[in-house]
Amino acid sequence: MEILIYGTINSVALALYALGFALVYGICRLPNFAHGALYVLSGFIAWTMINTFGSNLLVAVVATLLVTGIIGAVIYRLFLIRVRGMEISEIIASYAIALAILEGLRWGGFKGMTYTLPVFIEGSVTIGGISVDYQRILVVVVGAALVAFLWLFTHYTRVGLALRGMAQDERAALMLGIDSDMMAVVAMGMGSMLAAFAAILLLPLGNIVVESGYNVLILAIAVCIVGGIGSWMGAVLAAFLIGFAQILTVVYLGSHYQMMVALLAIILTLILKPSGLFGQQKELEERV
Amino acid sequence: MLEASDLMVFYENNLALNNVHIRCDHNQIVGVFGANSAGKSTLMHALSGIVLDMQKKEMMAGGERITVAGSVRYQEKEVMTVSPSRRAKMGIVLCPERRRIFKESTVLENLKIGGYLASPAQARETLAYVFDVFPTLARLKNRIGGFLSGGEQQMLAIGRALMAQPKILLLDEPLLGLSPLMQAMLMRTTREIRDQRKIAIIVTEQYARPVFPIVDYAFILENGSAVLEGTREALMDNPDVRSAYFGV
Repeated sequence: MEILIYGTINSVALALYALGFALVYGICRLPNFAHGALYVLSGFIAWTMINTFGSNLLVAVVATLLVTGIIGAVIYRLFLIRVRGMEISEIIASYAIALAILEGLRWGGFKGMTYTLPVFIEGSVTIGGISVDYQRILVVVVGAALVAFLWLFTHYTRVGLALRGMAQDERAALMLGIDSDMMAVVAMGMGSMLAAFAAILLLPLGNIVVESGYNVLILAIAVCIVGGIGSWMGAVLAAFLIGFAQILTVVYLGSHYQMMVALLAIILTLILKPSGLFGQQKELEERV
Repeated sequence: MLEASDLMVFYENNLALNNVHIRCDHNQIVGVFGANSAGKSTLMHALSGIVLDMQKKEMMAGGERITVAGSVRYQEKEVMTVSPSRRAKMGIVLCPERRRIFKESTVLENLKIGGYLASPAQARETLAYVFDVFPTLARLKNRIGGFLSGGEQQMLAIGRALMAQPKILLLDEPLLGLSPLMQAMLMRTTREIRDQRKIAIIVTEQYARPVFPIVDYAFILENGSAVLEGTREALMDNPDVRSAYFGV
């Protein structure tokens, strides 16, 4: 029971880390290595809003989402647009931005264990003999809601459909009047907002530390590689696979092996099925 | 309506289009015929502005140098430097060679993505129209695009381009690899679309016979130059054209 509950929570957390990364990669073919940095940055933005400006939690949450979304869009518009379509350059450029943000935060004094975000709802509930706090339940609920929202957004709205068109064939989308540069900025903004969403939901469970930026990035990449890059449903399923594997290792082997699971999953996937569990595009080519 | 003059496109030092002059008037179907590598697709890319996108991508990646010169005028305005998405908004919509439908989306989604520029009312009206001229698509509307046959994909590509509310539709080799029966059906429908939607159409093809009956005016491209032009009747009487493009 403990494994089931904490496995689910951990899996949803992984899915939250990965959603933004998967969205940006799926649409702009941009491996956004600044994803983890945006995650940490939004944590500190929320912290500053609450502790320096004394705003209430709800205002801080909305402001953090907007500000992080805008920062992501601006990063894309100013820097990443110049190396568009060259994946190695994109990785180097976005990782440089990540380093600048993370080390800049460290240099600016945001280090140590003193930074925490408040939880939304205090208290806990007992499910099947296990005590689970409300924040963790909120993570699962909001995570599921976000996945559902993204699915609806990309299947039924004009911009969402345009984003999917662009993900499949950018030039064909361009012929239909879909401005790919504009759409990429939108996608990057949304991806950053998803990073901020994850931060606001998950950071109250621990401290805000700069180092978690790197971990989040590795976990997001692990989930996307195992799930098959570009496939969102694959990413969600992979999050559950890795999430439960992690909890099982913690229970049966010890918590210091936890990070290894994600890295091992990357290596195994690349050896056994390089296109990932649900690498749709290649699968379609094989079938037709 | 759309007029290109002195149009030149270079890929590095290769001359892909040489001083091409073509025009298409309102509500007219214009054919552009030529063999492989005559410059048909380059012409379409230049008219729709896609060449600007290619130029930008190649420049960023340090690849081929693409140079464009000349003028493209659309509705009395110079559009040579206007981006492809802006040109689509103005009404120049390209239906590309090899169809390039969105293979992982369903037929209906493909059409909806095509309706990005349309208002909700326009999109609804055009969707009904597309299903009306291509009843096959209505039947297959929940099928994934990649699983359609070539002819069905071509219908979808034309339907998708119509969804973008074109005033001039550029069809790049719409008959490539299709059966004669399907070719004839598509050409009949193309003329129907012109008559009913009151739009201009430029269609390119290697082999003139299936397309010729529906064109009002035609240009013949050879090695990047427009070597011949004329009305359907005039070209039909030209012995060179008859032997080269009709196999008579």
